[in-house]
Amino acid sequence: MSLPAALRSRAANGHAAYVPAIRKLVFEFCTSWPTSQPTRTFLVNSLQKLARANPHVEVVARERVHREPIIRGFYANGRDKVISLKGLEPSGIRKKVELLLDSSGAKIKPLKSRPVESSTESVRGIWSGVHAPRPTL
Amino acid sequence: MATLQLLRWAMPLRGRCLHTAPNSTAAALELIRAQPSQYVVASFVGKKYILTPRDLLTVPHLRDVKVGDVLKLDEIHELGSREYTVRGNPTLPAAKVQVQATVVEHTKGSMEIKFKKKRRKGYQKTIKHKHPFTRLRIGDIVINPAPESSST
Repeated sequence: MSLPAALRSRAANGHAAYVPAIRKLVFEFCTSWPTSQPTRTFLVNSLQKLARANPHVEVVARERVHREPIIRGFYANGRDKVISLKGLEPSGIRKKVELLLDSSGAKIKPLKSRPVESSTESVRGIWSGVHAPRPTL
Repeated sequence: MATLQLLRWAMPLRGRCLHTAPNSTAAALELIRAQPSQYVVASFVGKKYILTPRDLLTVPHLRDVKVGDVLKLDEIHELGSREYTVRGNPTLPAAKVQVQATVVEHTKGSMEIKFKKKRRKGYQKTIKHKHPFTRLRIGDIVINPAPESSST
């Protein structure tokens, strides 16, 4: 039996408890091509440290034969983000990893106009002409 | 001690009051706490926002903060409910009202493309920019929290 919309619970990650949005990070690289060399260096030097620093993330390294290196982040909302590591040195790769770890997986949308997104009903209520004191001249 | 004004927004009852005006800060805050929902006007990174619990606040990227960190809002200017409001001078004391915000993510906004051109001068350029933001989830508004007993 489906609940009507008014009785459904709304997700608010971070309100009472925070669950990290990212669940899996997959590094895909080629063992032969030179474009994957910086990625291979990064994996050899920093992958274990990265996995230990983020115990909530499943870190995977896969081979992607004869292709450019990429990194995939899988999120709790079912979406994934894919970033190409072509032409990036280990410092650049580190920045992309941080970008994926910090993201929530939501689709990129314009964020400048509305600073507060609220699903709470208006606290002071909505003005009603029938219930307001009648204006007198 | 900051003086607090209690403003009553409900319709005047023309001489018949259901209860007398509160004579102490604690009584005023207790009145607000008893109402079903409250809001808070707080400054964050220099700007004021009207916030309620479970809101998602988006601000320009905060550098010293990691995802999952919990921040305390310490500049609360106003605490209100449907019928009552308490304003600080300029802020309410932190011991009376506590609101926390959890950092949920660091994202970037959508791509903004600025096209600059001066005609007949051979000057044109395209600037592409994604503004970084930090999003925070506002926690519950705790009014008159129980004083912490210091154990020695």
